[in-house]
Amino acid sequence: MDRKNIYKGWEEQASKELRDKNLKDHFWETPEGIKVKPLYTEDDLQKINHEIGLPGLPPYTRGPRATMYTNRPWTIRQYAGFSTAEESNKFYKEGLKNGVMGLSVAFDLATHRGYDSDHPRVVADVGNAGVAIDSIEDMNLLFDGIPLDQMSVSMTMNGAVIPVLASFIASGEEQGCPREKLTGTIQNDILKEFMVRNTFIFPPKPSMRIVADIIEYTSKKMPKFNSISISGYHMQEAGANQVQELAYTLADGKEYIKSALERGLNIDEFAPRLSFFWSIGMNFFMEIAKMRAARYMWSKIVKEFKPKNDRSLALRTHCQTSGVSLMEQDAYNNIVRTTIEAMAAVMGGTQSLHTNSFDEALALPTKFSARIARNTQLIISEETGICNVIDPMAGSYYVESLTSSIVEESQKLISEIDEVGGMVKAIEMGIPKMRIEESSAKRQARVDSNEETIVGVNKYKPTEKQEINILSIDNVEVRKRQVSRLQKLKNSRDNKIVESFIEKIKNAASSDENLLEICIEASKNRCTVGEMTSAMESVFGRHNLSTKTISGVYKNTVKNDGKIDIIDNELNKFVNKKGRRPRMLVVKMGQDGHDRGAKLIATAFSDLGFDVDIGPLFQTPEEAAKQAIENDAHVIGVSTLAAGHKTLVPLLMESLKNNEASYIKVICGGVIPPDDHPFLYDLGVSKVFGPGTNIQEAAIEIINLL
Amino acid sequence: MKLKSYLKLFKISNIDFSKEIGISSVSLSRYISGERLPEKKILNKIFKLTNGSVDANDFFLSSSPSRDLSEIHKKEIKKMVLNIRGGKLKDLAKAITLVESSLKLHNAQADFLLSKLKQNKNSLRVGITGVPGVGKSTFIETFGMSLIDLGFKVAVLAIDPSSKRTGGSILGDKTRMMKLSVNKNAFIRPSPSQGNLGGVAKKTSESIRCLEEAGFNIIFIETMGVGQAETTVYDMVDIFLVLLLPSGGDELQGIKKGIIEMADVIIINKADGNLKNTAEITMLEYKNAQNMISNIREDISPEVFLCSSTESIGITKIWNFIKKFEKIRRDSGSFYKTRIQQQTKAIWRNILLQSQDYIENNLKYNDSVKKIIKDVEKNNFDVNNASKIIFDFILKRNT
Ligand code: B12
Ligand SMILES: Nc1nc2c(ncn2[C@@H]2O[C@H](COP(=O)(O)OP(=O)(O)OP(=O)(O)O)[C@@H](O)[C@H]2O)c(=O)[nH]1
Ligand SMILES: [Mg+2]
Repeated sequence: MDRKNIYKGWEEQASKELRDKNLKDHFWETPEGIKVKPLYTEDDLQKINHEIGLPGLPPYTRGPRATMYTNRPWTIRQYAGFSTAEESNKFYKEGLKNGVMGLSVAFDLATHRGYDSDHPRVVADVGNAGVAIDSIEDMNLLFDGIPLDQMSVSMTMNGAVIPVLASFIASGEEQGCPREKLTGTIQNDILKEFMVRNTFIFPPKPSMRIVADIIEYTSKKMPKFNSISISGYHMQEAGANQVQELAYTLADGKEYIKSALERGLNIDEFAPRLSFFWSIGMNFFMEIAKMRAARYMWSKIVKEFKPKNDRSLALRTHCQTSGVSLMEQDAYNNIVRTTIEAMAAVMGGTQSLHTNSFDEALALPTKFSARIARNTQLIISEETGICNVIDPMAGSYYVESLTSSIVEESQKLISEIDEVGGMVKAIEMGIPKMRIEESSAKRQARVDSNEETIVGVNKYKPTEKQEINILSIDNVEVRKRQVSRLQKLKNSRDNKIVESFIEKIKNAASSDENLLEICIEASKNRCTVGEMTSAMESVFGRHNLSTKTISGVYKNTVKNDGKIDIIDNELNKFVNKKGRRPRMLVVKMGQDGHDRGAKLIATAFSDLGFDVDIGPLFQTPEEAAKQAIENDAHVIGVSTLAAGHKTLVPLLMESLKNNEASYIKVICGGVIPPDDHPFLYDLGVSKVFGPGTNIQEAAIEIINLL
Repeated sequence: MKLKSYLKLFKISNIDFSKEIGISSVSLSRYISGERLPEKKILNKIFKLTNGSVDANDFFLSSSPSRDLSEIHKKEIKKMVLNIRGGKLKDLAKAITLVESSLKLHNAQADFLLSKLKQNKNSLRVGITGVPGVGKSTFIETFGMSLIDLGFKVAVLAIDPSSKRTGGSILGDKTRMMKLSVNKNAFIRPSPSQGNLGGVAKKTSESIRCLEEAGFNIIFIETMGVGQAETTVYDMVDIFLVLLLPSGGDELQGIKKGIIEMADVIIINKADGNLKNTAEITMLEYKNAQNMISNIREDISPEVFLCSSTESIGITKIWNFIKKFEKIRRDSGSFYKTRIQQQTKAIWRNILLQSQDYIENNLKYNDSVKKIIKDVEKNNFDVNNASKIIFDFILKRNT
């Protein structure tokens, strides 16, 4: 019998099983707009438009190395950092003893944004969401007893990339490791900062120049160091679907290649040291297909720049399981989610992996939760036999078909970017950010109307509360320690030399001298991260984004199950009583750049009929209060995710009081551990909304509150 | 209108008026206080004597509560006015809320408040328009900051489009006026347009007066360059700025020709980076297209400028022209004449809006009116007569 007839036979059989339901109803349209059929067959393999090939050979669809995990499994690389350098150093050593193979440093937000710990704008940020690094002295403590010539170190740093990388290199040399022996990765991916991660400092143009400075310097002086980690991770976490994540990341990569070439570098000098970074979410097969599509497409993209070395075509990547897929409610479920995601990353052929801890939606990991996260990888790697076969998914009818569809769909998005003149231009126009926010709003609408299930959140909710111990950082204490260490440094160094370096940095910034090179020397001479940044800032200026917002997406996606009518009704009552719609100011205070929740709340609430003011990123509590008063908002909605709430919310309340404006109500949302709720309520906060909040239910509560 | 108000307005004494009707002044006082109702004959006389200003309804229907404020409310408002003068932003913000509110009580409070405000002749009211994204907010940020450096106090009213379908809105202008919004010499208030551009614009001119009372001497009004809001805004500002993008053709920019004709200053914004050359070409086009440019002002012609709001280029030139514009017009008196004309226009605009409001929110729900319309639909009644009868409702409307 020929294939066609066999397929017909299956259709008949399936229809029988479905009885009165239609086979057509079992097609699934993914959030990326890809139509997935219930069954894939040999026929589908005939239709694919990408090359599968062999591992270690162009176009590298099956992996960048010929042996993949059969020779050496992926690197277990856990992203971590908190409070002081000493504390983080202890944590790293503990991890290394227990299976971690490479370090990955998480810096605090003050450092990310180039402020020293004693800067007034960072009172709530020092040491909270990562480790505070003010100078080479802190770096020395961070890597104390960790030989940098043997340990590969990845650093997530983009905004203050020059002073931080400089301090790292200088610290290595003080430890006795020459720069050419350093191995690891610097994230150095500024484009996605403007798009989704929000730890930029300078405007786009000088920022791109800095990226090129680093690519240039490392390609010449640090041959074993990855000069950039082109990251899609943060896009998916900000709400992008997999096609968007892939397309925009590759488009970013293209832009970096162009700017390095403009520097006069040869493609083969730096392309092999470009690395990538994906987020791996719950759509198991889609993620695997994404990783394979990425390798295939990247090799095609680089090919256009005519490299001689095949290694330039190979995409190597780090992966992290998705943080947004993890929930505060029923938090132990997160262990299962992370396991599934880790499996996808491994099946997709990652080079290194971070697995999240189950307390992700509550706070930074504890020793206990970090151990489980680590062990998840060890179990996959050492108990399952998965590592014994290279690229086991290849040839799967479904996975290869999906890979092809992803290639096709992301190509469309890349073309859209090309048409406007590349990613820098597209970012200026706000195109990718807008598309990502649309996806984020759609996703929330689907969850809010129970079209997408999240176990323990909108279905199968637990009846009992679980107590989970979480890590709490005494930010006041950390800051005190950092400030006194800074003071000591400033008293013991030669301030004349420091000043001369500040001048040199300014000069380099206004000319085309390599900034990294100068800053390495400056670090050795005890210039701080903040000082080096403000020297550059005096030339480049400090950037802030103008917040653009979308509208209508939430309302168009959400299914009206009666709640919308209730809201309309309540709103009408409100307007009749108060003479205007409820007006809410959504604020982000401190250096916390998590704006997904704030943007979502803003767009969804305005869709539901609120008047929503949206504040800029990085407001101080006084600025937020001023804006709320001038706009005469009924309520300030504080969105806080980076543990600044215990410092910032009291300051906000005080500022309102000082201006006789305590009639303005305050509500909070975001990552706020349950233990902190009483503290906030005691301050006078009217309501706290945690992760997983249903927006329509929140809207009803808020109207009633006012 | 009430007889009491009529007599006050025309400064006629009770005694004189009672003589003219031929009744005792005591009876007249009783009619005025509402203690007694006049009979038909007297009503007719009053109607004739007052040119129809005072009719039967003014005696028989009690006045709407909104027109009379309680003493407590009046006291509150008086305190509010003092606080506004004292520079309390909170009270200024609240005052604008009252002005913008749709509640009758708030409107009454706002009316009372506005009656307590002085006329400010020294302020400069600047209208700014242009298509979304042309850079209005960014321009105000840069320009406003330079004015603050010169010692001015700057206020901004930004009118944002509300989404028609849901009625909600997102007001994000402040994120583009980052420095200005945190400066203590600046006050920025974005307002939702509530789908009724004209309506908000009416309130805008009242908000301007509140801002002036608080000592803001340069006031920017930002509107989108589409729709009819612009003409309304034009009629409440002293100078009108139109921002354009560096590119040819107005159709391309989605801006109406009529709006360019109103411009006192045409600003080609974003004249930086790779748009610089295009901007220069655009400037020349406008300079040459004299027919496009207005001659509304008798004493000074509009000018075209290049500007980069992000790189702070062209700002000083624009300010110098605005200063010249202001000086010439103040010296000649046309500045004040225009403001007086604007007030008259405002009266008619308010009346139009109130009628519109009455039609939308009352008349259309009136059962008799609904019945008349049903009849017309069924061809039992003709359009002309129907409209006349319905219009009588407006004439008779007393509240
Ligand atoms: C997405 C995410 C990111 C994205 C952010 C993208 C973006 N543009 O927003 C990326 C990848 C860039 C990122 C980066 C970082 N992150 Co992060 N991130 C998350 C994550 C996984 C999800 C947050 C999220 O967006 N959820 C989806 C939205 C819709 O939910 P939400 O904000 O909670 O909002 C809901 C409710 O809370 C509520 N709500 C929120 N606000 C408001 C306001 C009002 C008025 C109302 C009514 C309701 C309301 O309603 C919403 C709808 O349900 C959380 C962990 C988690 N699972 O929560 C970590 C987390 C917040 N991140 C963390 C950290 C440390 C960072 C970094 C600082 C890491 C580092 N050292 O480099 C960076 C720096 C980012 C920065 N600039 O600030 C920590 C913070 C630790 C802490 N609080 O102690 C967390 C908790 C993870 C962890 N456990 O370590 N992150
Ligand atoms: N290159 C350049 N960009 C500018 C300039 N002025 C504004 N922009 C950018 O243009 C975008 C829109 O600017 P806005 O000031 O928000 O424009 P707007 O006219 O107020 O927009 P709406 O309020 O939405 O109608 C922002 O991204 C600004 O950074 C300029 O002079 N040069
Ligand atoms: Mg604007």
